Amino acid sequence: MSLEDDARDWIAANWKGVDDLDYRNKVVEAGWAAPDWPVDAYGKGLSAAEARLVSKLFTAAGAPDPVRNKANFGALMGNPIVEKGSDALKRKVLPKLLNGEWERGCLLYSEPGNGSDLAGLQTKAERDGDEYVVNGQKIWTTGGHLAQMALLLARTNWDVPKHEGISLFVLDMKTPGIEVRPIKQMTGEQDFNEVFLTDVRVPAENIIGAENEGWKVLQIALKEERRMMGIELGRRDAQPGERPAIFSMSDDLIEAARSAGRLDDEAIRQEIMKNHSWRMVNQWNGTRAMRELQSSGGSSLASLGKLAKSRILHQGWALRFKLIGAKGLLYDPADKANYEVDNQLMWAFINSIGGGSDQIQRNIISERILGLPKGHEADRGIPFRDVRKGGTFTDEKK
Amino acid sequence: MAFGVFTEEQVEFRKIARDFFETKSSEKEVRRLMATEDGFERATWQQFAQELGAVGIAIPEEYGGQGFTWAELGIILEEAGRTLFGGPLLSTVVLAATALLESGDEAAKQKYLPGIAAGETVATVALTEESGKWDESGITTPATKSGDAWTISGAKHFVLDGATADLLIVPARTEAGVSLFAVDGTAAGVTRTPSITLDQTRKLAVVTLDGAPAKLIGQDGAGWEILQRVYDVAATALALEQAGGAQAALDMSVAYLKARVQFGQQIGAFQALKHMAADVLIEVESAKSAAYYALDALVEGSEEFPLAASLAKAYCSEAYVTAAHQNIQFHGGMGFTWEVPAHLYYKRARSSEVLFGDADYHRSAMATRMGI
Repeated sequence: MSLEDDARDWIAANWKGVDDLDYRNKVVEAGWAAPDWPVDAYGKGLSAAEARLVSKLFTAAGAPDPVRNKANFGALMGNPIVEKGSDALKRKVLPKLLNGEWERGCLLYSEPGNGSDLAGLQTKAERDGDEYVVNGQKIWTTGGHLAQMALLLARTNWDVPKHEGISLFVLDMKTPGIEVRPIKQMTGEQDFNEVFLTDVRVPAENIIGAENEGWKVLQIALKEERRMMGIELGRRDAQPGERPAIFSMSDDLIEAARSAGRLDDEAIRQEIMKNHSWRMVNQWNGTRAMRELQSSGGSSLASLGKLAKSRILHQGWALRFKLIGAKGLLYDPADKANYEVDNQLMWAFINSIGGGSDQIQRNIISERILGLPKGHEADRGIPFRDVRKGGTFTDEKK
Repeated sequence: MAFGVFTEEQVEFRKIARDFFETKSSEKEVRRLMATEDGFERATWQQFAQELGAVGIAIPEEYGGQGFTWAELGIILEEAGRTLFGGPLLSTVVLAATALLESGDEAAKQKYLPGIAAGETVATVALTEESGKWDESGITTPATKSGDAWTISGAKHFVLDGATADLLIVPARTEAGVSLFAVDGTAAGVTRTPSITLDQTRKLAVVTLDGAPAKLIGQDGAGWEILQRVYDVAATALALEQAGGAQAALDMSVAYLKARVQFGQQIGAFQALKHMAADVLIEVESAKSAAYYALDALVEGSEEFPLAASLAKAYCSEAYVTAAHQNIQFHGGMGFTWEVPAHLYYKRARSSEVLFGDADYHRSAMATRMGI
């Protein structure tokens, strides 16, 4: 039976027009919610292209897109479990990710003492019978106050070098001992959280992969994050009726210059065209990366996009700031247009700091793509217990 | 060709082209030829034309070419740029052949293109004059008609391969406007003076015309329209060359960063240098994307082409300069010597930056072409 017939028959037999938990569980059990996951992980072992077809067949029949929860947070949270989790953990977690019970997840990776140097994390997970007891503090948690579950990185062995003593866990955010506090940003807004973990008891079966193997498992989760970024980068073709991006992609800057009456100012025109060129080449790099990924499964271009985006955002919003002149002195939310310029001028730092700062990206690019040697690391090869921990410098001689 | 992918045949063709340039345009050969007045040898150029089929690659078969597309010529240009090839590629294949193909002048095409494709005729377009302007205002030389015969008097500067070209295509002003003329390089009234150039691998000349006999190509007064197209094609071609050169400069940098030891370690381990190298990589890959996109637009005949050509020339000009500049900086004192070839790439990058309009010129053109 073809995939089309299979899907149509299933929809005809099961979709009754009510999108409730009972229906969604049937979708999950039948493998429609994650068609490109393996059969033993609530999938059907289909290709990505076939999975896209499944979505089309369901929506064409008037049923909800079965893949929506996976596309939302399911893949980001679920991929490491699919690849490295035990069967028990798959049964426990994957249905909830796919049926919408856990519709939102968060990532408990970064710590106040460990931003760039993530592998130096200091949150500890100690084994106690069938559980781990977790203590520590996490930071920069997007959606921490909304999430039902988290991926948690914690240290399970202090007597080995830093990368070798980390484990990755699934954490139910309703577990006692978790306190989520919002962080006020430089913009005045609150989009991230700190998460305090005090004697949080995590079932031992919630570990993803083997104990102390967390750093490797983490790479699977990061791959999905980068893939999502890649999709964002890879968009190129104009929609029907739209002008090609090369003509229209910087309309925002052009409009801003026009409003300011400075569109005929050659210095401004040069700045706009410089930014426009950066935007275009970054998009084309993304397209090339996608095509290389499709044809050979790897692309060194994929890791350039985030770094290249920093100059686009910083220079672009600095130009917008210049164009609004004295209005930039104000930060009044009632004046929406000018408020946005000041606000985005600050938000540009999220790209150049978040998810690995530009400086960390340059290290990664120069080592992994150009093959340059690693620099000196004072903690390399030393048991984590004995290394100087991340945080604030104190003069040990005193 | 879809943007961003090369077919198996194209990958194979690139290998063949790279082999050719690595032997015929090795560093030793580049240094030998740049010290000569001509900058290239006819025998190699004919080999390039006949064995590689590279000169007539984008010239239709009816005019003696191979009838492939610009996609293949793009590969040649990128590979030529990698090795600082000094043959008359831009002058003959890009400028002159394009001017002829765009002229709509059947007789001129039949007369000149087969010789060009065979590697026998070296040709060029004398684009600009002493002002060094790469737009219509750069053309002031008059052509005068007496009976059926045209003559031109004036001076053309910065003429690519102007001292060696058998065929000079000379834009000049008639009553109808800018028009293109064919002038025999050895005709009476033509004086060619090789210029002393910053980039010795790129030969330029001043061509002085004193009542030189000229033959009209295409319609009287249609010259600027043809040249606009020639300029866009040339900008794209040079962008591809620049992308290839930028990659070569980066490759050289990375090799040195791995090989040089100071303070007890390879200097490539120092973050100050690593970060510069990562930034150069972004410039190099972005330059390729810009050049490939313009090439794709040229091949597809898309409405985006003129804008994409200017974007590519603006971007690749600065990217190549950055890559070549940082390459010298990475090499420290050795980078300042004649012995290390970093200066050859830097000079090529600087000369390519200026040729056919610099980055500011092309960004300005971009704005106009976007309708603002």
